[in-house]
Amino acid sequence: MKNVLAFLLKLLGKIALVALILFAATFALYITNGENKLIYYVIRPFLNKHYDAQVRDKRIV
Amino acid sequence: MKFTDKLIGAVDKKLERFDPLWQAEHGVGGQRSRYLDKTGVAKWREWRGVKDTFYDYSAWLKNLAAMAGMVASAPLPILKGFWEYRWMGSYLGTFMFIDRLFEGYRGTELRIAHMNMYGIVQNLTKKIAFILANDKRLGGGPDSDKCIPFDETIPPLFLKGFKGLTPVPMQTLPEFIICDIDQHIEPYYIDVAESFGLAADVCSRCAAEAGVALDDAFPILGKVMLSTNMPCNASEATSMFQRRRIGLPDFPVTMAMQHAEKEAISYSRQELLNAIAFVEEHYGVKYDWDTFYKYAEIMNEQNAIELEKWEIFKTPYSALSGIAETLYKLYEWQSANGADPYFNKIDRKVIEIMRQAYEDKYRPFGGRTRHRAFLWGPSAVYYTDFPTWTQNCWGITIVLNMDSTMGYNQIDTSDREKALDDLTALEQRATMRHHAVGGWDNVNAVWDWAKKFNCDMVLMNDNIACKGMLGVHAMMEEQARGLGFHFIFIEHDLEDSRTVSRQDMRNCVNNYMSVVLNEKPLDPTIVEFDDSAAY
Repeated sequence: MKNVLAFLLKLLGKIALVALILFAATFALYITNGENKLIYYVIRPFLNKHYDAQVRDKRIV
Repeated sequence: MKFTDKLIGAVDKKLERFDPLWQAEHGVGGQRSRYLDKTGVAKWREWRGVKDTFYDYSAWLKNLAAMAGMVASAPLPILKGFWEYRWMGSYLGTFMFIDRLFEGYRGTELRIAHMNMYGIVQNLTKKIAFILANDKRLGGGPDSDKCIPFDETIPPLFLKGFKGLTPVPMQTLPEFIICDIDQHIEPYYIDVAESFGLAADVCSRCAAEAGVALDDAFPILGKVMLSTNMPCNASEATSMFQRRRIGLPDFPVTMAMQHAEKEAISYSRQELLNAIAFVEEHYGVKYDWDTFYKYAEIMNEQNAIELEKWEIFKTPYSALSGIAETLYKLYEWQSANGADPYFNKIDRKVIEIMRQAYEDKYRPFGGRTRHRAFLWGPSAVYYTDFPTWTQNCWGITIVLNMDSTMGYNQIDTSDREKALDDLTALEQRATMRHHAVGGWDNVNAVWDWAKKFNCDMVLMNDNIACKGMLGVHAMMEEQARGLGFHFIFIEHDLEDSRTVSRQDMRNCVNNYMSVVLNEKPLDPTIVEFDDSAAY
């Protein structure tokens, strides 16, 4: 019984730790506006470069 | 007072100097202080106090999860979509868009705003995944030929009677929703249209739609398409260009324009029946009225709740207003249109909160509202987050927008003949048809709407490329003077922010508020600023 309790406590502790790390990481990303900075300065310029290089069908149909 | 409340109160006190509302009130900054110049990129997210910041954070997580779910449900088509379609790249601006929309929101209004926004996000992400997974340009999918593509200004409720078929609004993803999120996307498509020699002085929405078609950027689904009629040259033209370029058999659902007249019903209901017959013929399926009734009930509940909301809107105690109200209603009515019961779930929750807020005499936005305005505004009010800005800068709350005045009648679900009449009445009062192009009575009704909702102000968007609406400009000015409303015309070029910038639009209000009313802004940092490089 003691072993089971110890195991459960350990498991709960680990879950709490993972949850805390996840929370800290996502909250840091949120409050620093990290994902929007990444999108605005890195991802969109990369995608726009690709879109600008696309050859589109200009025929009149 | 509980210990946690005390603790939160102490932290809030300590960190209040980071709150833009507090900064503006104390003359040490405001909403714009945390932005990088021109870009619309904030250095950090808005500090709203402990409770509201954490609520906003949890809503952000929820939206993030919905987007992750979208990618997980169709990873390859989503990647292909990002690679193929320029407009897909613009959807990455969604988080920034949501942040902009709800700046300055606190407490109950923040909670309702996020509930409504999540309704849109969950529906839209599923729609994107479904459409791309079945887009024939990207290789197609199991449901490619079970879709009915239709012009997004046709309310799709009547198409829900086709069991096993999915109505897909054609312009919603590549043009309509995305123009609200990213002001730079439509100018590209407008340029494509103009590079084919199309006139540059037409409605920019129609030009952009034509550009999407000519750029081969409409996902291709279904066996036929349903287009519609709008009585302006650009709208007729873009329907034709789309039809020719896409090349699917087309049925134009030409509903009556002057729909306030009684005779319109019999004409328009025949059009709906003809459209149903067209789909039956091409897909080899039979229309199922019982299935239609099921969705009509969903729509009926949404409209019943909407009318109750209107009663609360008339008071100063409505926790739902501005962009949280108008964008949600536009999407719920026009795009979901009874097809997604999740919106009913949200409506039930929101009306509960609104009732409670009304009982508590809760004044939203910290009681900083000075004017109540009825807004007559299309897309240009969304990418500029205009209602949010009017509230934060000048204390003008947008009680209701024209987009929320679409069909609100109940549909009889026991008698087919009555159901058809009711359905027709509802569908005739749709986007555009019920607004700028459905006859003078609809436009002239702004005064009745404003009066009904106890507004002292009317903000009227003036699309400089809309020939029809330009004709009523002077008449509206005269009437406003006669009726005693504060009346502001806001010039814009709908989806082309190069012609009339966001700041030009804001200046229309700035000038009236400072010169005519001699009022001081609530937040001086957002009176004049450059956001030309922002999404």
